[in-house]
Amino acid sequence: VSDDRPVEPRTIEEPLTEHIERVRVGHGANCSSVGSVIDTLFATAAVGAAVFAAVVAALKSEEVRVAGRRGDKK
Amino acid sequence: MIVRYESWGAWVKLESTAAIVAIDREGTRALGLDGGEAWHDARTASAPIEVHLAVTSRCGAGCSGCYLDARPDGVVPPRAAIEEALDAMQDAGVFTVAFGGGEPTTRDDLAELAEAARARGITPVLTTSGLGLTDVRVERLRAFAQVNVSYDGAGETYASVRGFDGAEAAERAIERLAAAGVHVGVNVVLTRDSFARLRATLDRARGLGAREAQLLRYKPAGRAASLDYLARRLTGPQARALPETLRRLSASLCEDGGFRLRIDCALVPFLSCDEEIAGDPARLTRFGVLGCEAAGALAAVTVEGRVAPCSFAPATTLACAALARGHEDDPVLARWRDWVDAPPEPCASCPIRATCKGGCKVVASFLEGAHGPDPECPRVVDFRSTRSDAAV
Repeated sequence: VSDDRPVEPRTIEEPLTEHIERVRVGHGANCSSVGSVIDTLFATAAVGAAVFAAVVAALKSEEVRVAGRRGDKK
Repeated sequence: MIVRYESWGAWVKLESTAAIVAIDREGTRALGLDGGEAWHDARTASAPIEVHLAVTSRCGAGCSGCYLDARPDGVVPPRAAIEEALDAMQDAGVFTVAFGGGEPTTRDDLAELAEAARARGITPVLTTSGLGLTDVRVERLRAFAQVNVSYDGAGETYASVRGFDGAEAAERAIERLAAAGVHVGVNVVLTRDSFARLRATLDRARGLGAREAQLLRYKPAGRAASLDYLARRLTGPQARALPETLRRLSASLCEDGGFRLRIDCALVPFLSCDEEIAGDPARLTRFGVLGCEAAGALAAVTVEGRVAPCSFAPATTLACAALARGHEDDPVLARWRDWVDAPPEPCASCPIRATCKGGCKVVASFLEGAHGPDPECPRVVDFRSTRSDAAV
């Protein structure tokens, strides 16, 4: 992480969900191939909505750090 | 959260909940963030978000299908070399590092290495056979976000996959890790034998304290790259039954949220034969399912410190130290991505192509000598069968 300066809490009015292209839940721990949670694919719409709601809440509240060579500023 | 700007928006690794999110430019701006240079960059390939790092090739288990051909006298890179690899991953903006090998728990410095990854903003996870997992070794694993134990089933099912019965050791390891408060999952290799007993295997793993199972396709690499592969791989009917099997297992095991089911990238092509999934491919994307991301979102690093497209593929000449820049420029890695960008039929018109990316290149290369449509994918089998019939 090349920049770990915290930024001010954000005020977000725009609905974020429609801008979220993909959500990969969990860490997985396989060292030989990429794993993807599959049970959410078959779950009810309510479960899927809950996953996205939790993600949006986290996006709104967590402090930002920028990773990697490409993002050297906020 | 850790943000990595991309040409299309940003990858975001959340910290209060275990998730990695892709968000478009507009959404990124709505968070008060600006991709700056990354949004004006002409680069076509992004660095991996996940790296599989072989921290040793030493292992005494002797699994008959070991993809690394790990041995008791294998290589153990010094801690400094591993930390240099972690530095390179940090520079590249990698989110997750999966420690493997070889048997990683044979290293005495695992706890320090996990902390070194965390200090660089990288989430460390680990795979182990569970053999020889003493309480001292369990203690070293507390710093990992998740530990998966290789567990293909009880008794003879395990033995049928690995050539020896290590099931009891794996079961004790799952229990020990769960009791120690480590988030533990299991890796289940699907062969024609283990697939038939999958439900019993997952029930057993969950009962022992596992909170997740990752199903893995058996792949012809390392010691498994032999004719024996043909006798062990899933049968055609089993491959076609996978989507419905996953649907049933998810409904019965995961509804309370206490257990998760994962599939690996190489199993994604088998989803192409499911009408519901193929009819709504955007759902695969939305829920973050990844197919073959070799040389894309995924990279592997060998014990010699060389980058490979994935753990099953031969290493390139690219040194891990040059990962940030070299991942885009390396010609071998570029060739893996180029095939995915313009595959032939039947992949070209496949509804789930954007996720699947043509299936497992390691399987295709072993069976047909080159990258090509995954020959075990039901859609590819049907396509070739139709063409063959038409030619007669």
